[in-house]
Amino acid sequence: MSIISVTNASFGYNGVDVFSDISFSVQKGELFCLLGPNGSGKTTLLDCILGTLKLKNGRIMINGQDSSTFRPGLAARHIAYVPQNHERTFPYTVLDIVKMGRASHTGLFSTPSRADTQLAKVVLRDMGIESLQDRPYTQLSGGESQLVLIARALVQQTPIVIMDEPTVHLDFRHELKILETMVRLVRKNGITVLMATHFPNHALYFQNNGVRTTVAMLSEKTFLDIGTPDEVVSNDHLSKLYGVETCVVNYPCGNSMHKQVIPISTLD
Amino acid sequence: MLCEATGNAFPADGAGTEREMTAKKKGWFILFLVAPLACIFFSLCIGRYPLQLNVVAEVLWSKFTFGLYSGPDVYQNIIWNIRMPRALLGAMVGGCLAVSGAAFQGLFKNPLVSSGILGVSSGAGFGAALAILLFGSLSATYPFALGFGILAVILSYLISRVYKTSPAIMLVLGGVIVSSVFSALISFAKYMADPYDQLPTIVFWLMGSLAAARYEDILIAGIPMAIGTAGLIGIRWRINVLSMGDKEAHALGINTGLTKGFVIFCATLATAGAVCVSGIIGWVGLVIPHIGRMLVGNDNNVLMPASLSLGACFLILVDNLARMLTGSEIPLGILTALVGGPFFVFLLKKTKGGGW
Repeated sequence: MSIISVTNASFGYNGVDVFSDISFSVQKGELFCLLGPNGSGKTTLLDCILGTLKLKNGRIMINGQDSSTFRPGLAARHIAYVPQNHERTFPYTVLDIVKMGRASHTGLFSTPSRADTQLAKVVLRDMGIESLQDRPYTQLSGGESQLVLIARALVQQTPIVIMDEPTVHLDFRHELKILETMVRLVRKNGITVLMATHFPNHALYFQNNGVRTTVAMLSEKTFLDIGTPDEVVSNDHLSKLYGVETCVVNYPCGNSMHKQVIPISTLD
Repeated sequence: MLCEATGNAFPADGAGTEREMTAKKKGWFILFLVAPLACIFFSLCIGRYPLQLNVVAEVLWSKFTFGLYSGPDVYQNIIWNIRMPRALLGAMVGGCLAVSGAAFQGLFKNPLVSSGILGVSSGAGFGAALAILLFGSLSATYPFALGFGILAVILSYLISRVYKTSPAIMLVLGGVIVSSVFSALISFAKYMADPYDQLPTIVFWLMGSLAAARYEDILIAGIPMAIGTAGLIGIRWRINVLSMGDKEAHALGINTGLTKGFVIFCATLATAGAVCVSGIIGWVGLVIPHIGRMLVGNDNNVLMPASLSLGACFLILVDNLARMLTGSEIPLGILTALVGGPFFVFLLKKTKGGGW
């Protein structure tokens, strides 16, 4: 069953199309990777699904409902969002930040209830970051704050989580930590994750870990291809998408096979 | 009183249990409720004609119990007709400016923003100057200041309307443009004014004062102030979410356009109501929220009531200085910065800025 379906969607700023006439659907419980180079319109497409931007043409159905009929705030009951780069201004505590995930469940003139606070604490504990609870989140490292923003999305208790390049600017360990967290969300919590990324290896990582993964390659205003990582992450496609000569390898490590893309050189 | 409390303003990591936290929160709320009342009571005692604490207590007590006060009439007169309206107005103006400042700082994601950011102060200043020019009387300044203050904010809002939404940065830009236009108009009004009669009136009005406080002012200007403040206190938690930025606030489930409009509406009512009776009192709307941040943290849930209370206390105390320090009154706009500046630096050193 498809939980998000996009049909004939187009969007443009001031008459210049960012993408046009694209259609795809995201199945319940899968990890959907939107793959493409910088500036290919991944974030714009995600914004349209979130409802921050309105499509020029086409339709987006979420959980069987036309998303353009959602009143402001209702989309937040279906989709939670983990932003790409988050500007940190006020030193709110981590708990305050996570509690903001309850906004769509909190009345206009009320504040989060005790139950909301408890839920925030449970999620922080589940993610293993309960020790950060009282820290000002302006003092966290990039990896820690990304985990906190994921916790905030989980507190929203939505069936879908959208992540816009969740591992950008993270170090070796934290990047893996975020990917592991995503695998856990899909496997354990049954959440559908839609992510934008420019690393083909992310899609392969999810496949290596046995998560049902779909890759859509966004290039030149439309999809180059869409399918499982095995089907679409190929040397040929990657050279078209990024202009990079690559070598896709399958390497045994322990008991399992690990598929990876090795970049060789840029092409002119 | 406030400085003593700073030591335990920030709960230790993990150690604070649920009950301790709520007890601490309750403690703050009680303190913030009692402090302005204490400041009002204190300001009833001091002045040119000092009154003993027990005299003030007796006068107040006789009123609240509908009993007769047997002491001299002059005591009752000083307390009820001179000092009380002034103290009450000071509390209201200070509280409104501070709570609007805190709301705008959250809304614009900018700690350097004050309650006058959308031009309400300069608009009101021009309104008052115009009224003094046209009618020469101070009574016409209230409606003019209120009207032009609100007009300035509407203009800022209209300027910021691009792409059918109002991005925060455009609002700030609109506010800066409108403020500078009205500042120029104020200068023009001063230039046109009669230098012996009208000019000093305009200049003193612009520097801010509570000296003319009467109960009628409290009633008239109190309506916009009360509505604005109640709205801001009601919506305070959503300002936390708005301070995450439009896109995230929308994704978290907030109707950003409507919520922003409501916050601006309430903050404008509160500030315009305050400015039209007191003149332009700077500093309170910028720095009192920061003092609040150092004491109770950045969660607007606690910060907004704290700012309301701190602003009220601060302005009452500064106004006491204004009428005590010299033979003639010192304008409030001058004293807020002179007194508040050193106090702010003291708190900054003491709390290490509270996480900034």
